[in-house]
Amino acid sequence: MHLFLLIGLVAFSAVAILCRELLKSAISLAVASIFLALLLFEMGAVYAGVFELSVVAGLITVLFITAIALTRGDGDVAEGRAQRWVFPLFFAGLAVVDVLVMRKLLGRIPAIQGGESGSFSQVLWNQRTFDLVGQVGVISAGVLAVLALFRRDNGHGKGESHE
Amino acid sequence: MLFLYIIVPLLLAGLLPLLGKLSKRLLPDLLASAAMLFLLVLTVIGARPLISGGGVIQQATWFQAPLNIRLLLDGFSLLMLFTIALVSFVVCIYSIGYMEHYGAKANYYALLLVMIAGMNGLVLSGDLFTIYVFLEMAAVASYALVAFGRGPDELEAAFKYLMLSAVASAFVLLSIAVLFAVTGGVGFGAVAQGLKTLNVRTLVGICSALFLAGFGLKAALVPFHSWLPDAHPSAPAPISAMLSGVLIKVSGVYAMTRVFLGVFGLTPALTTVLTVLGVVSIFVGALAAIGQNDIKRMLAYSSISQIGYVVLGIGIGTPLGILGGLFHLFNHALFKSLLFLNAGAVERSTGTRSLDKMGGLAKVMPVTAVTSVVGSLSIAGVPPLNGFWSKLLIIIALVQAKMITLAVLAVLGSVITLWYYLVLQHQAFFGKLNEAWKSVREAPFWMSAATVVLALLCVAVGLAFPFVVGTWLQPAADALGQGVNVALNFIGF
Repeated sequence: MHLFLLIGLVAFSAVAILCRELLKSAISLAVASIFLALLLFEMGAVYAGVFELSVVAGLITVLFITAIALTRGDGDVAEGRAQRWVFPLFFAGLAVVDVLVMRKLLGRIPAIQGGESGSFSQVLWNQRTFDLVGQVGVISAGVLAVLALFRRDNGHGKGESHE
Repeated sequence: MLFLYIIVPLLLAGLLPLLGKLSKRLLPDLLASAAMLFLLVLTVIGARPLISGGGVIQQATWFQAPLNIRLLLDGFSLLMLFTIALVSFVVCIYSIGYMEHYGAKANYYALLLVMIAGMNGLVLSGDLFTIYVFLEMAAVASYALVAFGRGPDELEAAFKYLMLSAVASAFVLLSIAVLFAVTGGVGFGAVAQGLKTLNVRTLVGICSALFLAGFGLKAALVPFHSWLPDAHPSAPAPISAMLSGVLIKVSGVYAMTRVFLGVFGLTPALTTVLTVLGVVSIFVGALAAIGQNDIKRMLAYSSISQIGYVVLGIGIGTPLGILGGLFHLFNHALFKSLLFLNAGAVERSTGTRSLDKMGGLAKVMPVTAVTSVVGSLSIAGVPPLNGFWSKLLIIIALVQAKMITLAVLAVLGSVITLWYYLVLQHQAFFGKLNEAWKSVREAPFWMSAATVVLALLCVAVGLAFPFVVGTWLQPAADALGQGVNVALNFIGF
């Protein structure tokens, strides 16, 4: 089951990159996210699975599709031929390295038992509180970026003055 | 007290968009500058005495109630806090005049403060995953700040920066995930202890390569530098100063040094990789800078070159090498911020960044010209300015470590630096005044004041370098010189 989900995740992620149409690419990414969410559920990471399914597969896909719908099609962007074969080549190389090296290597490493223990909420609120402050900062940065970049006034004339 | 470094800028960033409705200019200018001055004073008066006995761990409090947040402060993090606060304060002062024609000052300062909070959080963290979170916080704010002008150049540069930065973050996160899987922790102490117990050298090599790619991209080390010459010139001048002066050092050099020296421990292989990458960066950056006609692009390439000196010094791994590298990191924050602010003043007054179109500007912008000369001579390593001493320390450290070839190359890099900065000065400020610039005036008061402060600091640090080394740099070098022992002392952090 894990292997099936993992293959689905990798396959749809690759399709999302290789796809020529943005809409199909966004949908492939959403399907890849669903596979990842199922994988997380299977492995017992329920909270992570719920977040992956609701935020990444749900909310972000809606945002992508809305943005694509609002974008005008002013003609195709010319793209070099190298773009078509670089990723598949890189992907194939990585897969070979993964199969030949990493699996064997990671299998030999004895993992230390430990790390954060307790329920999700305990870990999040009691042990990773500093990360929560950071997350608040990341979200604030995103909100402020939207406010700054989509502001109405345009009185600077900066971009035009560049040589 | 240390939590103030994160919470003060973050809270103010949240309030500024609202306060900006009441006052579009005065309140944002005043509050942002006051907050940075407060953090600067706090660093000098409050934080420095804390490290008198070595590193400390402080629990954060919120209205006297303890929080589950512990912050790590040692000589190295203190030096970075000081550098961030100093440059941020000067940049805020400069922004009073410079950002007038952009508008949306409240949003601008809010993003700047989030970036500063992110850098402060990164520096005070004793945990790899927390470093990643705060790295992202500073990065997200910086993407928006690069695109703040909303012109085609800015948006393209911000997008390129975002894409490459996301790749860097992926490398960093992957490495952290592997370390967590193996050692069962992400705290500096837990990872250092785990790696020591398990003796997994191949895995450390793979994680080092991932961190090198990730943090190398953030630091714009060659060959990971391609985003910087677009991103830094496109941003508003004060943001260029922050990015080149501070951000690439905190999210790239600081994080890389902390992990390699403090968690993994510097190995001969890592020393070779870092010193070679350092020298390659010095030359690639310097040679690329020579051919540039855009003043800010020339400065951006120069940043790549100067980061090479920092990494070269730290990569040697000897106490003198580390000291020289850190000294150059601090000095570069001063003179590169100064030079970007000067370039912004010229661009604002003339409307161009093209060196071909400038000439003779010293006659109409004497303050900008004089401070720019100070910055250029400092970065080129002309005695007795600050850049001379840091480069000298690095070169002596290379000779002591019997890396004679690298020492010769470092001197040669400095000569090339002097060459292109003399060309910059000649083309922009000296010679016959271009007819088009006869009506040009000196930059507004606050912009000039900021550049004068930085120029004076370049001179003062050069003249009083034993004091600066003893007060700020030696504790930082000592903290790094202890290697993984610092992290091992903080097990359970």
